[in-house]
Order: sequence, then structure tokens, then C-alpha cells
Amino acid sequence: MRIFIGVLFSVLMLWGSDATIEVRKSVDSLPSIAVEDASSDYQDGLSKRFFRVLVGDLNVLSIFNVDRDYATADFEKEDVADLHKEIDYVVRYRLVEDNGVMIVNVKLINNDKVMHTIDYRIKNPRQYVFLVHTIAAEINDFMGADPVDWMKEKVVISRTTGPRVSEILITDYTLSYQFSIKKNGLNIFPKWADKAKKYLYYTALTNGVPELHKYGIYDKSDVLILKSDGMLVCSDVSDDGNRLLLSMAPKGQPDIYEYDVQNRKLKRLTRYSGIDVNAQYLADDKIAFISNRFGYPNVFAKKIGSDAVEQMVYVGKSNSACSAHNNYIVYKARESSNAFSKNTFNLHLISTKTDFIRRLTVTGINEYPLFSRDGGTVLFVKKYKNQSSVGVIRLNQNKNYLFPLTGGDIQSIDW
Amino acid sequence: MKALLFTGSLVAILTLAGCSGTGPVVEDTTEGTSQPEEISIVDESSAADTEAGIVSTDLDSGIVTLESIEAKIVPIYFAFDKYNLEDEDIETLRTNVEIVKGDTAAMKIADQYTLKLEGNCDEWGSDEYNFALGLKRANAVKEELINDGIEANRITMVSYGSSSPVCTEKTQECWSKNRRVDFKLLP
Repeated sequence: MRIFIGVLFSVLMLWGSDATIEVRKSVDSLPSIAVEDASSDYQDGLSKRFFRVLVGDLNVLSIFNVDRDYATADFEKEDVADLHKEIDYVVRYRLVEDNGVMIVNVKLINNDKVMHTIDYRIKNPRQYVFLVHTIAAEINDFMGADPVDWMKEKVVISRTTGPRVSEILITDYTLSYQFSIKKNGLNIFPKWADKAKKYLYYTALTNGVPELHKYGIYDKSDVLILKSDGMLVCSDVSDDGNRLLLSMAPKGQPDIYEYDVQNRKLKRLTRYSGIDVNAQYLADDKIAFISNRFGYPNVFAKKIGSDAVEQMVYVGKSNSACSAHNNYIVYKARESSNAFSKNTFNLHLISTKTDFIRRLTVTGINEYPLFSRDGGTVLFVKKYKNQSSVGVIRLNQNKNYLFPLTGGDIQSIDW
Repeated sequence: MKALLFTGSLVAILTLAGCSGTGPVVEDTTEGTSQPEEISIVDESSAADTEAGIVSTDLDSGIVTLESIEAKIVPIYFAFDKYNLEDEDIETLRTNVEIVKGDTAAMKIADQYTLKLEGNCDEWGSDEYNFALGLKRANAVKEELINDGIEANRITMVSYGSSSPVCTEKTQECWSKNRRVDFKLLP
């Protein structure tokens, strides 16, 4: 079986070397996998919630056909449950309570043989979701598939619950874990401030004047960084965390600025009479950004300090948001001029090195595209039929997954 | 209206001057001439805080108040994805200005208020571009007010993007009500 999977992934890698080329493969060719719950503790439903999140993660790995039926088993036995005899792989887990600490034992079984074991301890069982994601990523690595480290990342969203009312939540990519850190007022556009994700920037509009704050999710510090009339959004943070790209408009003119965190200096990077926003750092001291300088929003790039501006996207009538990773840009494009159309805004992927373009979504309003650090996955926000969801696109696997939010709308997201 | 917003506005102007003096100082790299400057950050106090004592009176008493003036002002509405003013919008703006002029003159406080323009969008997208679109709508109104002789220093702006809807139904008519600029009078 592993040889088969190896051949399969070799083929996928060959075709997937350009992510703008859509890979189609038969779901039936994937090995099957099932999950068995061997927990005796945590009968309050935690072990079943653990099951559901793990099944969902295995599905998102996109390397298995996942059996979703709940089953129990004896953890110590090597043979699998009768209903799983025809299944290629079984993940069996056991949750054990030990003086408030949750111990998690996991086995990956193939043909009644234990192929891999995983053991963890977690002090706060409420955060079990992140542990499940870690386990899924480890199974993925064991199978030799494309890395999915992004699964383990903390995600931050702003959720609007009414006019001028929103809260900022720390969550995971499935929205299974939710922890509110800012509840009162209008707090929007959260953006992680550092790779360790101990701090984040956000815009507070609570007092009617846009303010950029830096918030510590562990020490709960909240520092006002800047104020600006009009609008003020942190669009991107440099890899070292020392520079911010801001969309701001101190005199009513939305342009892109760069803020040096250490010496508190602000540079104006664009100077156009229309709209310049949503800047992203590219390699070689360049930025990509959204501008309506040709009469409609589109993706442009420029070198910091240079006047020359380069158009990056030539397809789409109205491209109002983007994310960049190496030679790839994923952008939001308006598909229809009819606001009532089902496919109003879709995401597209282009390579700056080729002419290929690939549409990543089909229906609804799809926005806030964000590449994972490895560039293999895109996270986004989807609004469709009064439902707001987090979407995950596995580019090389050609798979999309949605995780709906219960209550409210997702205003913005960062991971 | 010009007289209303111009005459005797020393207090308001001084207040606003104090705010703008502590705002970010910007280096414009596209011109390549200006040098980076240190900026003073987060030590501002708002105009509203420093103008304590000028507040609205009882809404139900029949006395003219800030809220009652605002209630008479008609928002300016915009087409989908647009931020330009049509001729009829300019007429509406002038009517608004006359309302504010007459009422605040009656209150004898015409020189003590700042006009705040709030730009808004419909629900089609909540990203940065839409916040900028809301701001450009507010700025279009601001420029027209300045053309009418109102001092720029007396006008502030903020964009709420799609986060401040007045209508939440999923209809074209409802969305058109949310593509607007609201007017607020600040002490």
C-alpha cells in the first residue's frame, strides 16, 4: 500500500509542480481510513468531539478516503473492529484523565499491525482541538505527504455580530476552538504580530477614530500604536516582525504606508489619487497591493522606494484583495456585475512566471485569501446563503473544505 | 452655512490644530526627497474630550440639540462600487448645510462644532478595499463641502466599511441604503 501511495504522490507532485494547473484524480484511488475511540475516561462527550475533529482533519489531509462512522475499540488489541476489516488504515485513540492532565495515546494500524504510535499530554483539555490537529499532521508526515504544519497554527478572526459590534477570537482553522479576547466595541482586521503568535495588531473603531493597537494574547497587554483619521489597517507584517504595511488615510486619501516598529517611523509608499490598499510583502523588498489606478481594483506590485508600478493580474474585472507567496498570487475577483449573482466574488490563482490561471472557488463571496507559510494551502472567508465560513484550499490536492461559523459573520482573518 | 462653520470658530480650530500637530509625520518615498522624521504617537487627546461642556440638551424638550439637527440631515447615497457625487447629491448636500446653518445659528453655537463624515458600504465585501471605498465616499462629500467654503479643518472622516448597516435585508433596495455617507456633529 505504501508503495502505491508513493507512486500516487510522485504523479501528483509531477502534475502539481505548477499550482496553477488543476490536478484531477479519482477519490476511489485513495486508501481508506477509519477512527476508533478507545477512551474510558472523559465520558462527558469530549472523546466524541475528539473523534469528530480527528475525522475532519484526516479528511482535510486529502490522502485518505475517510470512514466517518463512530466506533469504539479496546486500545490494547492490535486487530481492528469488525466493521473496519476492509479499511486500509485505522487510527485508534485513548483519552486518559490523570490528575487534571489529559493523556492521549494514538495508534496507526494497518493490516492488524501497529505502524506508528503517538503519545501526548495536555494540561488544558479545552485546547484538545490543537492536539488533534497535531496528531493529524503527524499521521500525515508518517505517510510522507505534503507538510500540513499550517493545521497546528492558531487563527485569529474578527466576528461581527451587529452594527458596529464585533469581537476578536482566537481559534483554529476549523473554528472548533474559540476564545474571545476582545468583546466590546468594533475591533477589526486582526493580524498576527510575530511568528510565535504571542501578539497581534488590530484596528479599533470603538471611539469613531481608527486606532491601531497591539495586543498580547498571554499578558493581555493592549498598546495604542497609531491613530489616523479615515481608515487604518495593518495589512501585513514582515517576517521579522519589525515592519508593518498599513492602509491608512491621514488626509482622506487611502494609500500604503510602512511603519518601522522599532524606531516608530512611518513612510508613505504610494501616492495615488484613487485607492491603494491591502499591501503584502514580496521578496526583494517589493510589495503587492490593490489599486484602482486603471479605474477598477486590481493587483499591482512595486519596489519599495521606487516610483515604477507593475500590473500583476490581467484577468478579472474587479480584483479587490490578494495574497502572495513566492511566484504565486491568489486574488479575489468579481465574477458578475450583478450583486444578486450566486458567483459574485471568486478566488483565482496565478503564477507570475506563466500565463496559467486557475479559479479556486465557484459560488458565493470568497475573500481574505491567505497563503500558508509553505504556499501549499490557501485559507479564506466564504459568505454564501447567509452563512459565513472559513475555507481551506489544498492547492496540490485540488480540494476545498468549509468550516461554518455559528452566529455572526467573519469580518477578517489571519493565520 | 459658510458663516455658520467659519465665523468665530477659534475654539474648534485651535482644538483641531492641536490634534493635527501630533499626528503621524510621513516620509513619502515616492518623491525621494523628504527625510524620515520621528513621529509622536498615541499621545493625542480627541477634540470631543477637550470640548467638554458643549453637549446636547434634552431631545424631548423641543430644544434644538445636536441629535435633532442630525436627524434632519439626509445621508448621501452612492451607486454600487462608486464614490463620485451626482448633481442631485450636491443639491442634497447644500440642503443639509442650510439645515445645520439655521439650527446651530439658533442655538448660538455655530462656531463650536465639528462635522464628522462617516463613509459606509453595502455587505458585498468587508475587506480593506471596501473600507477605502467608504472613505473615498466620505472624502467626495468633504471636497464638495470645501468647495462650498467650509474649512477642511472642521471636517473629520471615518470609514466603517460594511460594519454599520442601517438595513440588513438581502435586497437591492436595502443594500443601496447602506452605500452612504452619514453626517455627525461633534462638540
